[in-house]
Amino acid sequence: METLFTGKPVWWLGICMLLLTTPVFAQTITGSISDAGGGKLPGVSVVLKGTQKGTSSNADGAYSLAVSGPTSTLVFSYVGYVSQEIQVGDRTEINVTLAEDNKSLHEVVVVGYGTQEKKDLTGAISSIAAKDIVKTPVSGFDQALQGQVAGLQISSSSGAPGGNTNILIRGIGSISGGNEPLFVIDGFPVSGAGVGNPLNTISPNDIESIDVLKDASATAIYGSRGSNGVIIVTTKRGKSGKAQIQVDAYAGIQQIGHKIQMMNAEEFARFTIDGRNNGYLDNVPTGKITDPNSMRPATFRIPADLQNPAALGEGTDWQDAIFRNASIRNIQVAASGGNENVRYAISAGYFNQQGIIINTGLKRYSFRANADAKVSKRLTVGVSLLPSFTSQDNLPFSGHYGGFGIIQTAMGISPHVPVYRPDGSYGNEIPAPEGSAGFQSPVKIANEYKNPSSQFRLLGNTYAEFAISGSLKFRTTFGADLNYAKNQIWIPSTLSTSAPVGIASATATRSENINWLNENTLSYKKTFGKHTVDLVGGFTAQRERGDVITANAVNFPDNLIPNINGGTVNSGTEGIQDYTILSLLARANYIFNDRYLITATLRRDGSSRFGENNRWGTFPSASVGWRVSEEAFMKTQHFINDLKLRASYGLTGNNAIGNYRAIGQLTNANYVIGDALTPGLARSSFSNGQLGWESMKQLDLGLDLSVLDNRVNLTADLYEKRNTDMLFNISTPGATGLSNAVVNLGEVQNKGLELALMTRNTTGVFKWTTNANITFNRNKVLAMSTDAERIFSSANGQVANTHVTQVGSPIGVFFGRRQLGIFQTEQEIAEYKAQPLAKPGDVKWKDIDGNGVINDNDREVIGSPHAKYFFGFNNTFSYKNLSLDIATNGMVGYQIYDGTFMINNAGVQNNTKYVYDHRWISPEQPGDGRFGRTIRGGKNTNTVYSSQYLFNGSYLRIRNVTLAYSLPQTLTQRVGLQNVRIYATGTNLFTFTGYRGYDPEVSVSNDNLLASRSDFGNYPIARSFTIGINLSF
Amino acid sequence: MKFKHISLAILALSVSACSDFLSVLPETERTVENFYKTAADYNTAVVGTYATFKHAGLYGTGGGSLIWLGEVSTDNTEYGYTRTPVSAIGFEIEDLNYSLSNTYFRDAWQGHYQGIGRANAILDRIAGAEIDAALKAQYEGEARFLRAMFYFNLVQLFGDVQLVKTEINDPYATAGILRSPASEVYALIEADLATASEKLPATITAANAGRASKWAAKTLLAKVYLAQKKYAPAAVVLKEVIDANAYKLMPNYSDVFAASTSFANNKEVILAVQNKGGQIGQGGGFYSLWTPFGAISPDFGISGGPGDGVNKPTADLIGAYEAGDLRKVTSVATSYTNASGMVINEPYPVKFLQTGIIRGESDVDYPILRYADVLLMYAEALNEQNQPAASLPLINQVRKRAGLSELTVSTQADVRLALEKERRVEFAFESQRWFDLKRTDRFVPVMSAKGYPAKAFQNLYPIPLREIELNKNLTQNTGY
Repeated sequence: METLFTGKPVWWLGICMLLLTTPVFAQTITGSISDAGGGKLPGVSVVLKGTQKGTSSNADGAYSLAVSGPTSTLVFSYVGYVSQEIQVGDRTEINVTLAEDNKSLHEVVVVGYGTQEKKDLTGAISSIAAKDIVKTPVSGFDQALQGQVAGLQISSSSGAPGGNTNILIRGIGSISGGNEPLFVIDGFPVSGAGVGNPLNTISPNDIESIDVLKDASATAIYGSRGSNGVIIVTTKRGKSGKAQIQVDAYAGIQQIGHKIQMMNAEEFARFTIDGRNNGYLDNVPTGKITDPNSMRPATFRIPADLQNPAALGEGTDWQDAIFRNASIRNIQVAASGGNENVRYAISAGYFNQQGIIINTGLKRYSFRANADAKVSKRLTVGVSLLPSFTSQDNLPFSGHYGGFGIIQTAMGISPHVPVYRPDGSYGNEIPAPEGSAGFQSPVKIANEYKNPSSQFRLLGNTYAEFAISGSLKFRTTFGADLNYAKNQIWIPSTLSTSAPVGIASATATRSENINWLNENTLSYKKTFGKHTVDLVGGFTAQRERGDVITANAVNFPDNLIPNINGGTVNSGTEGIQDYTILSLLARANYIFNDRYLITATLRRDGSSRFGENNRWGTFPSASVGWRVSEEAFMKTQHFINDLKLRASYGLTGNNAIGNYRAIGQLTNANYVIGDALTPGLARSSFSNGQLGWESMKQLDLGLDLSVLDNRVNLTADLYEKRNTDMLFNISTPGATGLSNAVVNLGEVQNKGLELALMTRNTTGVFKWTTNANITFNRNKVLAMSTDAERIFSSANGQVANTHVTQVGSPIGVFFGRRQLGIFQTEQEIAEYKAQPLAKPGDVKWKDIDGNGVINDNDREVIGSPHAKYFFGFNNTFSYKNLSLDIATNGMVGYQIYDGTFMINNAGVQNNTKYVYDHRWISPEQPGDGRFGRTIRGGKNTNTVYSSQYLFNGSYLRIRNVTLAYSLPQTLTQRVGLQNVRIYATGTNLFTFTGYRGYDPEVSVSNDNLLASRSDFGNYPIARSFTIGINLSF
Repeated sequence: MKFKHISLAILALSVSACSDFLSVLPETERTVENFYKTAADYNTAVVGTYATFKHAGLYGTGGGSLIWLGEVSTDNTEYGYTRTPVSAIGFEIEDLNYSLSNTYFRDAWQGHYQGIGRANAILDRIAGAEIDAALKAQYEGEARFLRAMFYFNLVQLFGDVQLVKTEINDPYATAGILRSPASEVYALIEADLATASEKLPATITAANAGRASKWAAKTLLAKVYLAQKKYAPAAVVLKEVIDANAYKLMPNYSDVFAASTSFANNKEVILAVQNKGGQIGQGGGFYSLWTPFGAISPDFGISGGPGDGVNKPTADLIGAYEAGDLRKVTSVATSYTNASGMVINEPYPVKFLQTGIIRGESDVDYPILRYADVLLMYAEALNEQNQPAASLPLINQVRKRAGLSELTVSTQADVRLALEKERRVEFAFESQRWFDLKRTDRFVPVMSAKGYPAKAFQNLYPIPLREIELNKNLTQNTGY
């Protein structure tokens, strides 16, 4: 954005100089210049061809220029428009309409080991410009990419500052290996080292562009790391010209977007009483509802505090106690400039985001410094450094309340408990009321549980480029990504979920990660007549070594020292992870006559991760493109401005199989001998010298089309991906002595359609641009170790086996019993027969195997966590200096397992008001047919995981609305500023969804895609309002 | 390769060759390749094999499969939890309504084979190991003893099982190994125990507490003979153990199980699962697992509750203690006082209880073989050889220690019943009951008489579903 503004004054200066040297002419031409929509274009350059004489149009688009005679030719040119040349003839008035240039064709796209003009691309690559990255006030650019690129699916599984995002390019291809794309920052392939989300360490303001490489043609140059797609991040570099100083700042407030309505104290008490009475009657045949607690087993006793519901009233909404209005602030100062020989860019940034849960937040100090110098005619050298320091305050957000999961605690703790008791102490349920569960005060957890973390990261890269000849260049780079992180956990003895006094413990983790890379490439680019060749070949070596040390301490005499030094260190571990990659790479681009395009790439990767008998892999790809619009027969029409057809096919790999997996290892199997802990060892894995990368073959058919004066641009891609030889953790027969082995097998297919449409709906003074994209992806497991194999997965271990991966289904679909409804009468139960223990109000399940008994064999696929399609719909409106951006995105056709409903339907933890209002009470009050009667420990075990707890997750979100105003330059220049832009942004303003949990993007399992979209009370995504300013001078 | 080398030269890094650069071995994990070299390695491997006792399929930390399959599936105990999806597998055991996928079967199978694999890895290599001969003998003896014990449990639980005698290095290698007849499994067990009893030391020093002795091997061998109804050889071996005078009954029954009884002072325990608190990953979990479900009581000490209700004594078991039996108060409690001072009548085992400890951090060991068992097995071996009179003094030794009068029954049948009752109360909660009932062909009669839906085929547990799914050649036990 700043280049657009900063370029202009220099250009103006040139025009002024031209005018000053203009002599007197014989013939004067006047006229006006407008765009296709009829809007007047000021500032258009009008030059007499072959001379330096010229002028520019005024604010009304009018110009006047003296020419020497009828043979003179005028050249009209303007940034963003197609230039026109017109011979004067005998006219004195020439009115011109300039067509907008489809400049995106000439946009430079960063591909692996080089750049290409967009028109020459044969692969599927999408680019995002800086202005679209900084639009959303977030900690990491990954969150800003949501809804911007077809085929790129991003969901924020946690709303914590710096929280995890799931990033998928064209679906889930791997069952046990990683699914994250490869991130390449300024040519350096980085890994996910450090604490939290590694993308948080880079300030979005430092990014110039992001290119998303999707098909095999584009990614095969990254060989064994390319199969999940590649995201190339390019940071801003200096340009020659006047020095630029830019200040970007924003500040705002965030709040919870959607609070869940829970039962109040009175309702919860009634719910509990019902649940325990029902459970008692179900389990104790002689029981009567009037039996006092002393006659009942603990499970079915009515807690003393809840015996008189009417007296309890509203009580506490614990969500109000843990959520807050939180601030977010960002400031970044950048300077750049240089001349023909030396260019530089530096920046410093500060970002501070409080979490909407009390005592959580993220701070980042980030810097960028880069320089390029032309040392001699042939030698250019450069360096770039991206240091940053990030610190975070975390809490156990989404875990079980028994492990201090703060959201579950706030949702589950009884509303009759006050936040603070009259004596000022925290309200909690410690020790647990008899026969119930213990709940610590979520406020106390937030105040006393400490989990700070921080990391220092330095990504540095240097290069030297030597021009052997005009077309042949040698480039060598050396860089390193250094990451030092620490993480502490402190649980004081005042915190326990079961007893008034708990056991204090502390954990300290330090990690050091060093990832270095050397790359050496030769490139050759030359045009011979109609032939253009662009070749690159090279050799690279990379090694990453991480070392993590963890120590735990217990036996704290007091709570005075909140770290391991305050107690006795009882365990410590050190883990070193080291791997190497050696690669040979080559790519050839050939263009004939600017219309026939061929690209071929080849990479050979060797890695220490692969077994010794299978150490090297070869990854080829080929692609072709045909720029149909360049053909002579297309020149006779004006509807289609550009049309390109593309096809690519190639093989890439996924090396995210972990280190040392091919080597048979031993595990600690300690025992007590002689009353002392004695080290023991036992084999923990098989040796597998054949273990290798996962392979992915992908076919992509693409089309790029521009019509109607380049006002409508469509990119469509159809793809099919086949992942084979997947890293597979097979179960081995018990008799082998081990329970599993890692081998390569199986096959997964992803196929889909991506459409990206960019339209300029209006041009002229009022501009309206629409960017829309939609992606349909279908995932299917084609082969596993056996056709009958089922990999069961679950999120967070709270409810087992909620998801299954099996042949014929997508990866990780919901698998469980199917709810048919709620039994209304004894007669219905008697007729159904399969659930003899049920009573009216209990859940009725489908007898899937039809054997008249309901058990674990009566499970089937009951839903999918994978969206049928997802989309982004972004509009920009501008009028003079005012602009309005509205970005929306959504996902459609998937389910969410809402565990927050399931955890309790019995009166141990609080539950939603919805359940209270819609449960079964009697045949006359049957509720919504989904939620049965309230019962604790009923013989029908209604809480068995079933389709009852799956909910439609489809949503449409108004993700971002930004209103910006650029001050007129006449005004800003008076105070020495070039450009001043002020803006107001609202993020996540509204979400249209039927989902009742905090957020439909939820996924408690983070990156474990075998068990996605489970909700056990996740950190909600914030709604934010910010105001900001961009200054440049 | 030539280009690669040229490139490497360009690289100007101290990378001598691709293969060196690409060969990266774990630095913080031990690899199989470098192991099994020194005596210390073998010791570590043997300790790792003993550690199998802590597997969820054996004793776990108080909630392992052998407790469920040895006690909860009998008339001794029940599951005192509330019925939830999670507790369903426990109630299947209590209700004798087994599903093939029940994880207690799965774990038992996997755990025992894991131990067998660890023992096999030692036995494959130790013959060729260049280590001290005495240590070599001891380690071989221990590996054989442990392998025998694991196979003995397997053959009792599941009948015919896969016989694996060497380390398996290929995940697909066991596909062709079918279930061997129980007689072949017993042959291996007997051979292993015979070798073990020659190689193992007769006495175990306090520093080696927890390791198997020659007498442990002999006692186990006797149990193996009894299970096969080989009464004469059983009697011979048991007499040997008794005559060796290495073990005796503790005068006080409760001292056998007390954490305060040191190894040197505990003359009764021949082999026990070793537990130790202190948050070193070796604590016993009897306390919180076995206290009444949901119960919180000052009786249980800090973090003692809420309990899980595993191994809740049945009224029938409590009734089985004769009046005046000193073992009762050491074994079961019938009520506790809750946090608000109310007395709750709910029974729970106190045999392995240690108050004042952190949840799951008990020091109390869990006996596998003890001298009372030697006496009662000897009595059984003699009685089954129709010498009821000779068996009575042995039973009476155990009764006397329990403060009970001497038995005066005389027929073989009466002694059988007396032994059955005596073993039940003597070894309550020690995972013996199911094995005893099975050995004496009494599982169905005893259980049916008390109203349990016991079936004859339940004298064996089902082959776990997981194993049959992974190896289609495995057959299922009849009835399942």
